[in-house]
Amino acid sequence: MPPGTIVAGKDGSSQFDIFATYQSILKNEEISTPLAAILALTELIEKSNAGTMFELVKALNDGAEVLKERTPNPISLNAGCELFIAFAYLFPHDSDSFSGLKTELVKQGQRYAAEALTYREKIAKLALGFIKDGSVILTHSYSRVVMKTLLRAHERKRISVYVTEARPRGLGLRTYDELTAAGIPCTVVLDSAVSYVMDQVDFVLVGSEAVVESGGLINAVGSNQIAIIAKAANKPFYALAESYKFHRLFPLSQYDLPTHNPSILSFPLSSAATAVSHSPSSIGPSGGKTLTSEGPRFMTQEQVACNPDVDYTRPDLISLVFSDVGSLTPEGVSQYLVGMFAG
Amino acid sequence: MSGMATEGSSAANQRVVENLASRLRRRQVVGSRETALETVLVLRQVVSKARFSNIDQLVEVIRSVGRKLVEAQPKEHTVGNTVRKVLHHIREEYHTATQGTTAAASTSRSTLSIAKFVLQGQPRKQNAPPKASDETRGTLKENDPDDPDAFARTLKPVLMEAIQDVLDELETVYDNISKNAKDHIHSDEIILTIGKSSTVEAFLKSAAPYRKYTVIVADTAPSYSGHDMAQSLSSAGISTVLVPDSAIYALMSRVNKVILGAHAILANGGMFAITGSLLAATAARAHSTPVVVCSGQFKLTPQWNLYHEYGALDFADPSSVLGFEEGNLVDKVDVVNPYYDYVRPELVDAFITNDGDHPPSSVYRLIKEAYDDEDYEL
Repeated sequence: MPPGTIVAGKDGSSQFDIFATYQSILKNEEISTPLAAILALTELIEKSNAGTMFELVKALNDGAEVLKERTPNPISLNAGCELFIAFAYLFPHDSDSFSGLKTELVKQGQRYAAEALTYREKIAKLALGFIKDGSVILTHSYSRVVMKTLLRAHERKRISVYVTEARPRGLGLRTYDELTAAGIPCTVVLDSAVSYVMDQVDFVLVGSEAVVESGGLINAVGSNQIAIIAKAANKPFYALAESYKFHRLFPLSQYDLPTHNPSILSFPLSSAATAVSHSPSSIGPSGGKTLTSEGPRFMTQEQVACNPDVDYTRPDLISLVFSDVGSLTPEGVSQYLVGMFAG
Repeated sequence: MSGMATEGSSAANQRVVENLASRLRRRQVVGSRETALETVLVLRQVVSKARFSNIDQLVEVIRSVGRKLVEAQPKEHTVGNTVRKVLHHIREEYHTATQGTTAAASTSRSTLSIAKFVLQGQPRKQNAPPKASDETRGTLKENDPDDPDAFARTLKPVLMEAIQDVLDELETVYDNISKNAKDHIHSDEIILTIGKSSTVEAFLKSAAPYRKYTVIVADTAPSYSGHDMAQSLSSAGISTVLVPDSAIYALMSRVNKVILGAHAILANGGMFAITGSLLAATAARAHSTPVVVCSGQFKLTPQWNLYHEYGALDFADPSSVLGFEEGNLVDKVDVVNPYYDYVRPELVDAFITNDGDHPPSSVYRLIKEAYDDEDYEL
């Protein structure tokens, strides 16, 4: 490692801890992970004493690597890092000095992050045209851009919303709380009741972790099955994605996602050992007390750990992707990605 | 003289616009190409007589004309499209004209941002502004207080050319769509079509000298425009079979290709087309028969209609479905006679346009190229 790079990586000997910076930026509720990653990288540039482009790009890549390794689900973070590094790499070097170039890059990153905060509003406005008065909408888990869109739609139109519970984290309940507080009729449905509810629904609206090069969607686990059911019932499936979530990745199956690891879906080594241990060590029923010993049972923490956080939805299941650059067909997303990353 | 001319010209402009608006409202001008042509002609006249001293004034003049015409007949989507297209061309001409004077210096660096990077891809060599070499362009002066007409005077010739381009495109549209017809139609094929689309008519006829094929024409109730179509095709020497609409499904197993016309192509790749098109397209899907749509790019509409299901909310006179001679039935039933079907993008395999063949999924890109984003709402 050249002495110029300030990010020393995992050994922790560096003065600048990009991960801590990243985490503190994320404390702001409005800032999503890709933007936080971009801001963390701008800070890295500020602190870096790299004297050449080569050093700087290396420092940025190392920083991105640190963030990636220390985050359990790095997909959307990767999208942000990728965007910023590609931009930095292509930025014309016509400053008087290298430090001038660095300050310019920092400024660009910060300006973008500030500008990008308006994107959700932009997407909400765009999606509004697709929501008819009296629509019944199914959404999945919790997404800030979906919330913004639904709240925006509620101002002008009568809508009602079904939201999935989204086990095991139960984020759908957060959606439920916020929508109900805003006066939108909302009902939580079991993740396993999606096909039951689908006939009542006009369309499905989900957020995204990332939209990939195939035009497919990476989102909270369960999105894929919702898309499949929506397709079977001939209901539109709309994804909302800010353009900084466009990610240069081409998964061919669920197991190509960077979040996939051997422990997901693994079988226990000795089945006898685990058969005994179903103490409800994780989330118990709300009261914590069941009437009979045959009361509801819950997965153990270890069992939950064998499950994925996100899944991949094929592009042919997605009707449209709404983003700040317009409402795109899934194929349209790849054109933007090709424009940015291919010669 | 000039003062009088201004008064006179704005009144004349108003008259032309009002005239077309009322003919649109009364449906005296119908059909997507006809309305588009009329719109260009009106715009040409308006621009040639308009007074403006900067580009914004000119754009506003055109937009207000556009708004008036679109309001008069919102169902003729090509009216709005033509206005958007003209605006797009005019802005392009304006930018090439001004590049030499103002914008050139400030383009490269200061306008570069991550948002632009996402939107436009990598900055490329050819995107760099050309050197300010063209001296004649340098004379373009906006908002000249001494001579407010100077801007209009310099720009008008190129504007007229730009409008002429739009007009030329409309006039050559059938030829350009049909020029590859013989590559799409093969010998001994059986082709099904519905309604009388002039585009499809020209397309089929232009393949006739090269290929021997059969066209099945659905009679297209209740307008029965299929009758005219069958007449026209058979008089061009094409072997033609006229069938009732109700036979479409049964015949589909023998059909090699369905060729449809369009009224408007929407941004998602779906389209509005004469009633019966959805029936034909769905039947084709059930038999995995390819569905090809022939249409000029002036029908590309940067809009969405949420209420597709209801036949684009455009209804024709119910008397052709149920006449008043059926007096005692008329007041007991509601009669609905929609003009158009909405055909979903999944049901269309390809659009054959005057500028290449495209799948429904890339229609949004064609629209992005053809119009400026700010004009989607006129």
